[in-house]
Amino acid sequence: MLTSPRQHIISSVLAIVIAIVLASLLASALGAASERILTVFFISLIAVVGMGVYSGNSGILSFGHLSFMGIGAYTASLLTLPANLKVATLPKLPDWLATTEIGLFPASVIAIMLTVFVALLIGIALGKLEGSAATISTLGLLIIIHGVLIGWRDVTRGSQTFFGIPRETTLWSAAIGCMFALIIARLYRDSVSGLRLRAGRENAIAASAVGVRIRRERLVSWVLSAALMALSGALIAHFLGAISPKKFFFTDTFLLLAMLIVGGMSTVTGAVTGAVAITVVTEVLRRFEGGFSLAGFEMPAVFGTTQIGIGAIILFAMFRKPEGLAGLKEWEERVFSRPHAVKVTASTEQPTKDTQPLIAKGMTMRFGGLTAVNDVSISLRPGEIMGLIGPNGSGKTTLMNMLSGVLEPSSGKFHRGKELLSGLVSYEIADRGIARTFQNIRLFPNLTVHQNVLVAALSTKGGVNAAARADAALERMGVIGHAHDDAGTLSYGDQRRVEIARALACLPSLLFLDEPAAGMNWEETDSLMETLRMLAKELGIGVLLVDHDLKLINQLCDRIAVLNEGHLIAEGSPSEIRNNPAVIEAYLGPNKD
Amino acid sequence: MDLFLQQTVNAFALGGTYALLALGLAVVFSIMGLINFAHGELMTIAGYVLMYCGLAGLPFLLSVPLAISASMVAAVLMERIAFRPVRNSSGATMLVTSFAVAMILQVLFQNLISTRSQPVLLPQLLSDSVTIGGLVIGVNKIAAIVSTLVMLVVLDRFMKHQKTGIAMRAAAEDFGVARLMGIRANTVIAGAFALSGLLAGVAAVLWVSQRASVDPLMGFMPVLKAFIAAILGGLGSLRGAVAGGFLLGFIEIYLAAFLPHEFQEFREPIGLGIVVLVLLFRPNGLIPSAALKAIKV
Repeated sequence: MLTSPRQHIISSVLAIVIAIVLASLLASALGAASERILTVFFISLIAVVGMGVYSGNSGILSFGHLSFMGIGAYTASLLTLPANLKVATLPKLPDWLATTEIGLFPASVIAIMLTVFVALLIGIALGKLEGSAATISTLGLLIIIHGVLIGWRDVTRGSQTFFGIPRETTLWSAAIGCMFALIIARLYRDSVSGLRLRAGRENAIAASAVGVRIRRERLVSWVLSAALMALSGALIAHFLGAISPKKFFFTDTFLLLAMLIVGGMSTVTGAVTGAVAITVVTEVLRRFEGGFSLAGFEMPAVFGTTQIGIGAIILFAMFRKPEGLAGLKEWEERVFSRPHAVKVTASTEQPTKDTQPLIAKGMTMRFGGLTAVNDVSISLRPGEIMGLIGPNGSGKTTLMNMLSGVLEPSSGKFHRGKELLSGLVSYEIADRGIARTFQNIRLFPNLTVHQNVLVAALSTKGGVNAAARADAALERMGVIGHAHDDAGTLSYGDQRRVEIARALACLPSLLFLDEPAAGMNWEETDSLMETLRMLAKELGIGVLLVDHDLKLINQLCDRIAVLNEGHLIAEGSPSEIRNNPAVIEAYLGPNKD
Repeated sequence: MDLFLQQTVNAFALGGTYALLALGLAVVFSIMGLINFAHGELMTIAGYVLMYCGLAGLPFLLSVPLAISASMVAAVLMERIAFRPVRNSSGATMLVTSFAVAMILQVLFQNLISTRSQPVLLPQLLSDSVTIGGLVIGVNKIAAIVSTLVMLVVLDRFMKHQKTGIAMRAAAEDFGVARLMGIRANTVIAGAFALSGLLAGVAAVLWVSQRASVDPLMGFMPVLKAFIAAILGGLGSLRGAVAGGFLLGFIEIYLAAFLPHEFQEFREPIGLGIVVLVLLFRPNGLIPSAALKAIKV
């Protein structure tokens, strides 16, 4: 299922097909040299978008993808190599493999399947690591697979050249492979999994809090990207006719990464732009490498002109356009950015059926020596609005983090009805009807407002009726007019409203709001209060509200709980709390009379 | 048993070099989140200075401080020219910048000096060996172990008692808060780079004194290993970097010495496989960085 307008997808796919066909026709007309350059370009482009499928969508740079290209290349070559040559060059090969000799297409399919299997195993292990640690681990992966290719002489001929591979890759087979890869990469980006993964890239904690299982989506894209790398490997092996482990090591990793990063790794447009830019520059500089004379001035031969050129382009791109030449949007998203008509059907919003209260007992959170929340017991019923107040540092946000699964409590349990919720992680809690916002706004700034909310709807309650849920939530919070703006470009108050809309799209029965009115003027605050009352009354949602605006809390809340230095010091109706001596002391200091 | 002790000495020598390199990477990473690919080129620069000093007939005791200062200056310049413009960008942007810097420097070495490996004149003393309790130990190994220990002790005191050192530790835990406390970003970052240059310079001297040659890609492999050591120890954690460096040194040396002959070809994959196993059980490394706990929700 795709999450972007059909118009975007159609225009993108058409453009890919037309551009590749035209380029291929032009190259065939220009002759063999151009055909070779274009074939290599197509194969490299498969690898670049392959890397982009993982790195671009997840935001985790990978240095290890060339190892999948290597696995694909060697596997496919072992299958297509003529049997008599195999017997001569690889005498220790098992019989069943030595006698196998199949065509490029079935060999590529088998190579891709094997690579997918290997990638799955590696991806499961890699999933435990975060950010930079994951990136460096992929460096380790590259070295490990390189070491295996060199060490496993009986099968790979070790560091020697593996030669005699039938040269079956033609310009047109590369073109078809490239078309296939670009379309897959483009569709994946706007698939449900791709959108979830991009949300995770923008803000991992928030994505998890709206139901996204980031590790699973990372694994999906990791395996898919490995498959594309294997395809690229199989094609390049059958184009060159001879490969060695060196081909799948650092030099080519850097070249392909440079293409991806210079162009902009989060889009297919960027991958193509980068591949074109780097290919053009290397082809031009290569001509100068042997030295040249310009207007009587003799330029000496400079070794490595192309590397310096690539290095300079990267530096230029990073200094001037750190997101890459193509930026963060696909070309068709820029061209066809007109808002689509949103129709909200009244029936999409229904009162919550989940009427079990949330009951938390003995919640405690220790950070080293500091006990931020100490033995707090609290309950929240659907349909009521409960205020949670207390001086700064009293543990309000920490309590909320524990109850939403963002932090694991040091001790204490919470449950709804018979179901124990403590011990669940935040995406599981989101799926069980508890949604939240954050004190420091955590939107997905480079996704549109619509996508921000849609990803939440898609990732909770089985994603049923997600588009309608997203639109209804945007409508209710009054931000539907911004649906097609990037969330990061909105005003502060609008960002707060989008965050609430995103939480509502999860169809919660309980909603935690951490300082929703911060940064809003009184007019906006009043309208927010009205909205929250409606949520409780019309939809039966229970609201747990942290705020420092005591007027808001007093007017809105049915009950108020007060925290001070991690302890629950009072709980009751607003008038009880106003007159509670412990609360007055916590806020105003002890009475000195 | 003798072989084991002998190899243990080797492991300390190699692990110490990895530890110094990993520490240099960790100092910069913990403060600004940059994984500096060009760290290896700092090593190479120090190596070439040693080579030229040898050719010029300078005494070794003079060329060592020169080489180390050269890599410190290079590190600070690198920050000023290449990394300052991308300082507040994402980790990926900074990493890619550093890799472009590394690539350009490598090509420059190849063009301006030589593509081939160049010999470095070393004092005879370094290639001698001494016998301690029946063990024959190379002077260069002893020098490596002693210098590593001295560096680690000096660094520990610097980080604990010197104002700049304390500022750097504070910045490593939470740069934002450290800046609010009046710590100057430029000073701390320049200091971090100077320190990483110092560590790379010392590591280069130790590396060259075991091999007596220098080539344009000299720093590449050891720094790659240092990256892995830094992850193994816990990325961004200074003590972790040292622990990871030593552990990786031990893994490599023991595998080289005790792995059965038929598996020797797979030494590198097996060694890294062990690292992966450790990481599966401790995803944040041996000694996780304190900054991990400081993430605000």
